[in-house]
Amino acid sequence: MLKGVARSAHLALGEDELDRYCTDLNGILEGFSIIDDIPGEGAYSLNSVEVADVLRDDVAGIFIDPYELLKDMRTYENYVRGPRLL
Amino acid sequence: MKDVLSYLRGLNERYSMFRCVADDTETSGTEFLFSAEDGLTSKDMEARCGSRILEGYRPVFDAASIEKMRFAGGKLAGKTNMDEFRFGSFCTNSPYGVPKNPFDPERSCGGSAGGSACAAAVIDDHISLGVSCGGSICCPASFCGVYGFVPTYGRVSRHGVIDSAGSVDRVGLISRNPERLSEFFPIISGEDLRDPTSCAQPDNLPQGVRIKSVAVPEEAYAGLSGDVLSAFDSSLEALRGMGIEVDAVKMPSLRYSMPALYMLTAAEASTFLASFVGMRYGQQDGDLTLKFDDYFTSFRTEYFGDEAKRRILLGTYARMAVQRDRYYLRALRARDIVISSYKKVFAEHDAVLTPTMPFAPPRFDEISRMTPAESYDAGRFIVPPDLAGMPCLSVPCGYNDKGMPIGMNMVTDHWAEDPLLTFAKEWDSAFGVRRPEVSL
Repeated sequence: MLKGVARSAHLALGEDELDRYCTDLNGILEGFSIIDDIPGEGAYSLNSVEVADVLRDDVAGIFIDPYELLKDMRTYENYVRGPRLL
Repeated sequence: MKDVLSYLRGLNERYSMFRCVADDTETSGTEFLFSAEDGLTSKDMEARCGSRILEGYRPVFDAASIEKMRFAGGKLAGKTNMDEFRFGSFCTNSPYGVPKNPFDPERSCGGSAGGSACAAAVIDDHISLGVSCGGSICCPASFCGVYGFVPTYGRVSRHGVIDSAGSVDRVGLISRNPERLSEFFPIISGEDLRDPTSCAQPDNLPQGVRIKSVAVPEEAYAGLSGDVLSAFDSSLEALRGMGIEVDAVKMPSLRYSMPALYMLTAAEASTFLASFVGMRYGQQDGDLTLKFDDYFTSFRTEYFGDEAKRRILLGTYARMAVQRDRYYLRALRARDIVISSYKKVFAEHDAVLTPTMPFAPPRFDEISRMTPAESYDAGRFIVPPDLAGMPCLSVPCGYNDKGMPIGMNMVTDHWAEDPLLTFAKEWDSAFGVRRPEVSL
């Protein structure tokens, strides 16, 4: 099970690490089992306080100079470099 | 200024509180020095958030709180050490130096903002910014014998916070001088269109409102060490002596706080940290011939620390389709229940009071023997206000027979920061806060 979780999380873990994390997570989840007392259905809030919707005027503009952003990135002809897709 | 920064570097060799100290000795317009947790962006220093995966990341903008401190005449003296992405109770998950407790270098400063609390304890009249994500400010404030203050969620813009859990993270202040908390809180707070969560806040006017009654949950006595129990009981007597009514209450719902907060923060962290994959930020030296999944995995496996991986695994598990209803949605409902529980108490009392931590600062060898679950449980009194987004304040309230500081934690209703700051000043006059002996 944890192997699949690690794969989803983009983490490559060896067997020893999987065993160790498995033990840790079992201990944590056992300690957290009280959460099963909370109703499984019903309304819930996404934030602890009311959050306002903020709408800005739709005006085109540059907030941060893209060349500044690119300075610390690995680039090729001002494109961000990344691994191959295929 | 050069002398001051040299002095801070000297202090840092002894206490390891800074990840880096400012190089720039420009002093024009500087009225005060401040430090900030390394999870806040600043234009003049790298922001690593305690993680090797962000090594080399130099932000092109200041966090809103740092921007405001600079505008008020502040100079950022250094970025402070912290647990990686705020994952930790003792600031030991820090690859850039583990801060040492100013009262005993064999002991922890607390986490996650341990470096900020250490700086506040050893530098005269210093103010430091931290980010709370499950007690990250109050725990180290308690362990370092200083004041730690966390405003209501949304009071201070999170623009420029390297979030690990956006629905919980809050910028706060740490200082040995409570006057500084009152002075700088209005400066860093306020609406900011760059962070919508800051745009629904009511006015923040200092009115000097006094705390007249506090409620102490019976649950706050569970599992306390003898020295904390003794210091806390003495503090309750001191409060009565100050004319503050102290009542016992029951708040059984607080027991849901730990699992709820850890599930929410781990779930959020597993998505927020998904952007750190060896492109755009920090470490980018990977083999570009790898397939993209392998490339991302290689970076995350190599550069995330042990606790970060544990939280990412926990969060990814909690968000899986078959587990989401059981953990994540229940955690959201638990947060509502905990908030209701506080609100019920606030109908009759001004604040809820508990010890900050169940024990005095532990030694590093004691910490190394703790299981992750034991380490998480250490924060059981300071996790509920972070889950509920309610303002809280840790104040020094005693010292054990080894001279280690003990703190107590006060929580008020949403947006009621003013009574906490008023109380901090009152308490400071009544209680003898000790300074650690600082020598180079």
